Amino acid sequence: MNHFGSGELETAVIQSELCIGCGACVRLCPYFDSYRGKTALLFPCAVEKGRCFAYCPKIEVDLDAITRFLHGIPYDGNPLGHHRGIFIARAGEKVRKQPFQAGGTVTALLVYAFRSGNIRGAVLTNRKGLLPEPRFVTRSADVYRASLSKYTAAPTLSALNEALDKGHGNLGVVGTPCQVTAVSQMRMNPMDKPGFKDPTALVVGLFCTWALDFRRFETFLAGEVPLEKIVKIDIPPPPAQVLEVYLEDGKRAFPLDRIRPLVPDTCGYCPDMTAEFADVSVGVLEGRGDRNTLIVRTERGERIVREAEKKGFLVLEEMPRENLEHLQWAAGNKKKRGFLRSREAGKVNGEPGKTLFRLAPECLDGVFQDR
Amino acid sequence: MNPKALVRDPFSVIVTGVGGQGNVLASRLLGDMLAAKGYFVTIGETFGASQRGGSVMSHIRVSRESAWSPQIPRGKADVIVSLEPVEAVRVLREYGNPGVVFLSNTRPIYPVGVIRGELEYPSLDALREAVARILPGARFIDGTEQAIALGNAILTNIVMLGALNRLAVLPFEREDFRQAVGRRVASKQVPVNLMAFDKGYGLAG
Amino acid sequence: MSFLIDEGRNIQHLLMGNEAIVRGALEAGVNVAAGYPGTPSSEIIETLSKVARDRNLYVEWSTNEKVAVEVAAAASFAGLRSLCVMKQNGVNVASDFLLHLASSGTRGGMVLVTCDDPGALSSVNEGESRLFAQILEIPLLEPGDFQEAKDIIPWAFALSEKIRNVVMVRSVTRLSHGSGNVRFGSLPGTSARAEFVCHGPLLDPETGPIISMILAAPELQHGPQQEKLKKAAEIFETCPFNTYQGPDEPELLIVTASICSLYSREAVRILGLEDRVGILKLAATWPLPERLVKKHLAAAKRILFVEEVVPTLEDHVKVIAAEAAGEIGAKTFYGKKSGHLPSVGELNPDLVLDALARIFPAAAGTGPAASPGGVKDIPQRFTPARGMTFCPGCPHRASYWSIHNALALDGRGGFVCGDIGCYVMGTLPAGFSTVKTLHCMGSGSGVASGFGKLRSFGMDQPVVAVCGDSTFFHAAMPALANAIHQRSPFTMILLDNRGTAMTGFQPHPGSPTNVLGEEAPALDMEKICRSMGAKVETSDPFDLVKTREKLNRLLEYGEGAKVLILRQACALSPEKRGQRKYEVSVDAERCRGENCGCSRLCTRIFGCPGLVWDREKEVSRIDEMICAGCGVCADICPAGAIVRKEVAR
Repeated sequence: MNHFGSGELETAVIQSELCIGCGACVRLCPYFDSYRGKTALLFPCAVEKGRCFAYCPKIEVDLDAITRFLHGIPYDGNPLGHHRGIFIARAGEKVRKQPFQAGGTVTALLVYAFRSGNIRGAVLTNRKGLLPEPRFVTRSADVYRASLSKYTAAPTLSALNEALDKGHGNLGVVGTPCQVTAVSQMRMNPMDKPGFKDPTALVVGLFCTWALDFRRFETFLAGEVPLEKIVKIDIPPPPAQVLEVYLEDGKRAFPLDRIRPLVPDTCGYCPDMTAEFADVSVGVLEGRGDRNTLIVRTERGERIVREAEKKGFLVLEEMPRENLEHLQWAAGNKKKRGFLRSREAGKVNGEPGKTLFRLAPECLDGVFQDR
Repeated sequence: MNPKALVRDPFSVIVTGVGGQGNVLASRLLGDMLAAKGYFVTIGETFGASQRGGSVMSHIRVSRESAWSPQIPRGKADVIVSLEPVEAVRVLREYGNPGVVFLSNTRPIYPVGVIRGELEYPSLDALREAVARILPGARFIDGTEQAIALGNAILTNIVMLGALNRLAVLPFEREDFRQAVGRRVASKQVPVNLMAFDKGYGLAG
Repeated sequence: MSFLIDEGRNIQHLLMGNEAIVRGALEAGVNVAAGYPGTPSSEIIETLSKVARDRNLYVEWSTNEKVAVEVAAAASFAGLRSLCVMKQNGVNVASDFLLHLASSGTRGGMVLVTCDDPGALSSVNEGESRLFAQILEIPLLEPGDFQEAKDIIPWAFALSEKIRNVVMVRSVTRLSHGSGNVRFGSLPGTSARAEFVCHGPLLDPETGPIISMILAAPELQHGPQQEKLKKAAEIFETCPFNTYQGPDEPELLIVTASICSLYSREAVRILGLEDRVGILKLAATWPLPERLVKKHLAAAKRILFVEEVVPTLEDHVKVIAAEAAGEIGAKTFYGKKSGHLPSVGELNPDLVLDALARIFPAAAGTGPAASPGGVKDIPQRFTPARGMTFCPGCPHRASYWSIHNALALDGRGGFVCGDIGCYVMGTLPAGFSTVKTLHCMGSGSGVASGFGKLRSFGMDQPVVAVCGDSTFFHAAMPALANAIHQRSPFTMILLDNRGTAMTGFQPHPGSPTNVLGEEAPALDMEKICRSMGAKVETSDPFDLVKTREKLNRLLEYGEGAKVLILRQACALSPEKRGQRKYEVSVDAERCRGENCGCSRLCTRIFGCPGLVWDREKEVSRIDEMICAGCGVCADICPAGAIVRKEVAR
């Protein structure tokens, strides 16, 4: 397999500015660490084939192998990824009322998963001031604290690695598409450890068009508002084209044109808007600030969603066709852009150790021809 | 004073080891004993930065004529005494010859490169064999073991001096050592140093 | 050291070169001695301090070499005999004052002892002090062996008083740190009275003020200074330490000085050339005794120069030869310029032997075999190289660990400007290759101050300087003042290990005692930096997490100069000697060894000599004989396999 070590990870990902700081390589060992949103290799490691390289979602991602592992079928380039159902969703009455991001669906799913014993721990992202912080929680009450969106990339998976090191299992993970891709690579036991058991019970993906580089974002905001007075950050669903910053004493809105330079280059290579390798994926619903789009993908994801609905933690509605079409169009665009950019950079089906994505060439052609 | 003629003039001894092993004290004691007998003694040392884990060497020239170079010319050592086996071989390669009297401690001190896994430390058996091929009379003794038995590894250098005395290649006696060590260490330390000297003497038999 | 003040005459002792210089100074009746620690010179002041009370001396470690010379000069101005001592770099530091002192002249005898380090065995340069004698226009003497190292000192003091100027005596590592037989002379009485007679007329050298030069009137002082030098040259013609050994008309004349004379003698003896080669050993090497030199040049057609390091003697003798060419004829010269001897590094008898073998190829056949009895056949693998690293328990290893990681996490390509002390090893893997510039005392902070002002040219790399506690007082304070005033946003990391450690743990102005063992006011570096206006934080370098976090925060703090003081005593300091804080051990079951998740972090990267990689069992273990018990390694192990237990007191 095209499996390498930390040296290759450093040159092919970090130095090539492909790193998104997802944290998949952090807390596995002393060599990678994350600080204020940036991942760094502290010292060279002599291991030739390491977990860091295998987990990283920005190098040697074999889309076919992952899809076969999760769904038993090859990767087919579907804009929304493999799925069983798409719904409009929001938190049900059993979930505590409080300010959610949009419909509160992620919070609802996790609270239910804890209460029902489906999960015994969860890896989430909290926020300390502007800085996102990975968190490992073991009680549903702690889920509420991590319920606001963060728009900057965060090393969430470092908390997963830490939890696994301590022997935790039956975990829920909430992550962006790149983080979810890393988690699926982890679940495939790339180091062939005997007696390996999948430590995850529910992987919740978040829709993502792009993320913001924390350090650039902080520098930008520091020049515009007092950082310590920020209460919430929001990017309302289209057709709005702004990023809103809620302060203690007011609100500022910045046109997205000013925000785009703060997006790390690596997001441009990503073909996945809806976290295709999750059990369920959650995102905004265009035009409705109080609802979510919910994509159900796997058997265990479907089971948990149905149970949560039955028990009053989740409310599902049918997704109108035009919303669905728009979703497919948006996701399809990102997929095309991402693969095009990757191919131009020679990072599709290329040199071992330097390739981002591997997939069947016919499938890639299909994406470009909108098949 | 009319000191005894030496088998070669100048007679050259190298005491070597790793920084911190007491190399300097050993060479000074040797020098003191021989100077007291009326010889011209020249000692050349390398210490300072080499103390931080590096190799140290003392070159001792003994002569009836005059002072000589504090650095021994290559291949001209008459005696090599080493507190560490790899240093013994290092010195042997540079300053040794088929007639050199060779005495080394057996306890290794690993260079940083070996500790880090970048270099390999030779097996003691292979090292002894390689030396024996050129110097069948080469002696290796467990100096550190004896020193530890007496309570402190730092006494290794004194054990080696005792062993050197047994080999009778330099004109000094136990009494000379007792006087010399009494001038260089605190009086309550003299007895344990004498014991170390005697242990070394016994080992070289 | 009591034998050094043995009153008995004519007794013989085996002395280190530096000890011989001390005995020489005592026999000369020295009253005051000042210096700054520097290998290979440090033992001189240290040894004098031990006999100070008995011999009624004043001895001090000054803040830096310039101050040391100034302190010694004051004693000379007051009519006392004074000695100042330093390594070669110290003369660079003191040179401004020395230049002016040589112009103003001295009163009581004053001798400057400089100990050069050819081969840079304990330095980061092999610069020389010999040329300073020429620049400063003062006489230079170089003892050739251990007896001379003692005897030349009283002679130098007498010369200094005859010409009323400072005299330089130059030693080298192989002389200062070597040992040889020295016959003692007698010790004078120890009463001396100091008085600065200065109220006489301006230009009176005995009773007037002592000033280097009256503006725009160089002839008033520079002229007399040059006359003093001419007087010294005349005295040098009969200096008893210039010696010649060999035939009246040698086929080859070796002109040499310092310890090189012993190398030359040995090389000549090995090749059996005593009847054909003459050795002129000069101890008076600036200004050269021209008549003496000419006499010997005249007697030989071929000349070989044997000196360390640069071809100074070679150049000066060639000038004499050129001027006298009409008289003595043309000569063939061998030396560094001809490539017979290397221009870099220290010499030894083998190098001189090689040079002689080229000049006398027939004699070379009687020389030693290239590899006597096949000793060189022993394979290289039996002699793994012994590299340098920090001692076990050294706070610098921990400091560099945190600095390295903080810079890596900061991610903007930050770097460290290094300085002088054990922490120079920050340039090596021992210090995680963190240090990226290295020059002289205090320069790290100066260079960093400069880097900090390059933002306007697009440089946004954070700049850090490391500086030891002794270095801080020696030279770094002006650089810090500059950075604060110029608003240069660099971070000075003050590695306070409580002493001048590299050279043997001498006190400095921040220490609570002085070299004589008396209580002394200790300057508080933290207060000084704060009152200078820097943003100051402190941390224990053994607390890796806190230190790294504090440094990262400081690196982000944009404005002005910052100081992070890392306080932890040197592992070899008296307060720590022989005492372990922890018993440290490795739990082999937990050790991850070479596997993913560790890759031997402790032995491969951290590199403390107390941690050993067991190749057979494939785990790390602690070498109890070497481990200093600081416990820091327990904090870096990712598996928690290194265990530390506090030792009961």
